[in-house]
Amino acid sequence: MLTVGDQLPSFKLQSVVSLEKGREFQELTHESSPGKWKVVFFWPMDFTFVCPTEIAEFGKRNRDFEDRDAQVFGVSTDTHYVHLAWRQNHADLKSLPFPMLADTKRELSVALGVLHKQDGVPLRATFIVDPTGVIRHASVNDLSVGRNVDEVLRVLDALQTDELCPCNWKKGEPTLEVA
Amino acid sequence: MSRLETLRTSIPDAAKDIKLNLQAVLQGGALTPEQRWGVAIASAAAARRGDLRDALIDEARREVPEAVVEDALAAAALMAMNNVYYRFRHMIGKPSYAGKPARLRMNRMVQPLTNKTDFELVSLAVSAIAGCEACIRAHEQVVVEGGLTEDAVNDAVRIAATVNAAATALEMASVAPAAAAPISA
Repeated sequence: MLTVGDQLPSFKLQSVVSLEKGREFQELTHESSPGKWKVVFFWPMDFTFVCPTEIAEFGKRNRDFEDRDAQVFGVSTDTHYVHLAWRQNHADLKSLPFPMLADTKRELSVALGVLHKQDGVPLRATFIVDPTGVIRHASVNDLSVGRNVDEVLRVLDALQTDELCPCNWKKGEPTLEVA
Repeated sequence: MSRLETLRTSIPDAAKDIKLNLQAVLQGGALTPEQRWGVAIASAAAARRGDLRDALIDEARREVPEAVVEDALAAAALMAMNNVYYRFRHMIGKPSYAGKPARLRMNRMVQPLTNKTDFELVSLAVSAIAGCEACIRAHEQVVVEGGLTEDAVNDAVRIAATVNAAATALEMASVAPAAAAPISA
């Protein structure tokens, strides 16, 4: 599994972005949200029980991710048609504000190393990627263990928070440079 | 009459010096219009005087891009936090606190819409109002390293001082006049 310091592999995947007819699908890549942080999270398969709870929770907190200049991507290896069917059939997923990516060929899951060794479906892996494409956080839960979105936000906050003010300047130190 | 001029004329006679200084500091000097208006707007925001802040923004928009207004407000908001937090650290003077992480977001510090030096100059002016000594020293150093003269810094602080006083003076505008002496029989 890729980890902190590794580059997020490039990808180009179909995704479900809406339930509106004719606008359901969009092809997304690793370059689709330039200048933003990315939160990429995987679940094992559509139409199961633990999944909609945590996916819906990511959806409810999407505004918090937007406030932090972060784009959320949800991923499983189901096709985009299955994603769409699931969203159409599950009340909690109808108004999901972030794209559901279809890693049908498993290229991204394999590149990141998140497939379960026996079952072949993605583990509940979460990656936080900075705007330069470097993975800054990686965590993985077993198939049956859901995630805590508060914790993901806490990690994102910590990664983004630095004492950047010259007020923090100590005598003899060079002043801070513009990032 | 502009909103700023209306406000200025409402300053009572007791604060006449402030009324005249306000006019003077906002004209010319060693600062660019961007620096002058940025400092003035942030100072009014720091002094928490909304009508003065908005009147200054009105004036500024005639001369400078919107980024100047945005940066001034951003600097005022950030300094309202940092001046308190870092002033605490400086005043307490214990190394143990200096070693603790602030865990406060201040990302806008390094994403100015105008430029780093102007943003720092505005931060310096607000720090002067807040009375954070070490913040003032730190921001002054960055500003001077950024190429501004001490005359420019001096003018920025003159604006901050005057706008701060104007905010106080405007609070006095509502002082009721003394009651007329009763007519004796």
